[in-house]
Amino acid sequence: MEALFLSGCLGAGGSACFGSLGNAVITIPKLRLGGHEFESRLLVGTGKFASVSVMFDAIRASGAQLVTVALRRFNREQPGDDLMGPLLKLGVTLVPNTSGARNAKEAVRAAELGRELSGSPFVKVEIHPNPHHLLPDPIETYEACRILAKDGFVVLPYMPADPVLAKRLEDVGVAAVMPLGSAIGTGHGLATLEMVRLIIEDSRVPVIIDAGLRSPSEAAAAIELGCEAVLVNSAIAAAGDPAAMAAAFALAVQAGCAARCAGLMSRSNRAVATSPLTAFLGEER
Amino acid sequence: MDRALNSAAPYEAELAALLSPVAGRNLEALAQRAQALTRRHFGRTIALYVPLYLSDYCSGGCVYCGFAADRTQPRHRLDPDQIVRELEAIKAMGFEEVLLLTGERTPRADFAYLRDAVAEAARQFHAVTVEAFPMTTDEYRQLAEAGCVGVTLYQETYEPEQYARLHRWGPKRDYAARLDAPSRALAGGMRWVGLGALLGLSDPLFDTLALYRHARALRHRFWQAGVSLSFPRVCPQEGGFVPPYTVSEAFLAQVIFAFRIVCPDVPLVVSTRENARFRDGIAGVGVNKMSIASRTTVGGYRDHNDSPDGQFHVNDSRDIATFCGALADRGLEPVLKNWDRAYRD
Repeated sequence: MEALFLSGCLGAGGSACFGSLGNAVITIPKLRLGGHEFESRLLVGTGKFASVSVMFDAIRASGAQLVTVALRRFNREQPGDDLMGPLLKLGVTLVPNTSGARNAKEAVRAAELGRELSGSPFVKVEIHPNPHHLLPDPIETYEACRILAKDGFVVLPYMPADPVLAKRLEDVGVAAVMPLGSAIGTGHGLATLEMVRLIIEDSRVPVIIDAGLRSPSEAAAAIELGCEAVLVNSAIAAAGDPAAMAAAFALAVQAGCAARCAGLMSRSNRAVATSPLTAFLGEER
Repeated sequence: MDRALNSAAPYEAELAALLSPVAGRNLEALAQRAQALTRRHFGRTIALYVPLYLSDYCSGGCVYCGFAADRTQPRHRLDPDQIVRELEAIKAMGFEEVLLLTGERTPRADFAYLRDAVAEAARQFHAVTVEAFPMTTDEYRQLAEAGCVGVTLYQETYEPEQYARLHRWGPKRDYAARLDAPSRALAGGMRWVGLGALLGLSDPLFDTLALYRHARALRHRFWQAGVSLSFPRVCPQEGGFVPPYTVSEAFLAQVIFAFRIVCPDVPLVVSTRENARFRDGIAGVGVNKMSIASRTTVGGYRDHNDSPDGQFHVNDSRDIATFCGALADRGLEPVLKNWDRAYRD
């Protein structure tokens, strides 16, 4: 499994110290996306919350620096219904998303409008032609990413967990690939584990799990597997106490990062004794 | 019933089980499951929209409807400048999704009239939808091009013989043409279709199962289609009509919970036909989209016309602020804008 880790540890970047876990001082490198650096490896979404204040508390508790918000939830005419205005004041980096777009043309238009309104160079490409399961369209996603990367966006595509598509998107200049763990809002966790493992193995850009995670342990597992970050929304918004759940995800992501840096032991199909029974045999063996 | 409640892949048989009297005696279990699924797929939010009746001229002969052509009350139609002012009044209330309604096609409120109203609404609103009369695919395409994103068209009842008895004349007598209209709307480029049966016109079990089949057939045929479902109960006061089946509040709730469990990712809609207590209770438990501050008379938003002769009696007459407050008390966030005109072609 070590082979999956980028230089044995998390992706290149400056170092960020998370302080101590127990007695160990843990130093976790920063997450690099398109020339921008972030200390937090937990990204959060802003949908489904009971109120803006609940959402704010959850974002603060998550420590997230990258926060995604749907262009369709920007409402300049009704401040009480607007998500962008309040988020701009929170001091996080906004990642406008194109949720609602059915094709590349609509996504590009939404991305441009999102950049104009938010001032953020980031865009999360989200193209789901089926408004029920919201699964991403690989063909339209590819086309939109090609156009937007050329146009200077820091492109973060929500995508099917397809290792070939991941490389195709890397080729057109995305800043990260964001395969789904399972369908949005379902909480089925890392159902795509084998495919995600293959994506990580070949990827030269950060792999961020987007969608489907239900519990902090799944987030930790994704990081341990080799993902550079995770994006969580429903699991926090639908929790009994969203802020507490956001904090739990933050801890789990840190734990996963710390475990990666500490170096996980390799797996074996057989038991390996800590005190081998053949240790008494001499040098000539 | 237990198996249906916890099924990983519920379909028609599970829906039927959840609509059974046994399930009706376990309504709380259905409600708990429905709430968990609503929360998972739609979060703690309720999308809000408002209807605008453009005209109550009607060529239809629906026995149960106060707008039927043989009713003698005076008819009204909003002129283009009145439409602009009504839309402005609605916009000022905060809405970003407006549903435009007419009766069955008449010379006074025909396709061109409706298309122009859609174009005007699309200038002011991000999301414009229509509930009017069945159209051709080409007409639906023109409406979509004018800025309409969705079409609501209730089959009223899926029971053909009862349908024939209740719809006495005009194009609406054509059961098949109406049944096929949502397909034409999707073929014409609509993103959403809203389906429903007017519960109480026929055996509600039959109608709700047929509604489910209708929705599934559309999703099979149009993989990009958004389908939402409504559950209006027929009101006895409409035109002195006495519905042959009584649909209790408890059964209505059971229907909504059952559909939520079987179709967790389908928007379920309740209008102001239902009273405030029921609406507040079902919001976020089974339902994720609601109208509010509705007037079912032609226009009336600008001059606060409280005329009682609307298409149906509004049982929840709260204003938008009061309703949003009630939702907030239940930990639900009202969402006014959930769409952006940037997605229009």
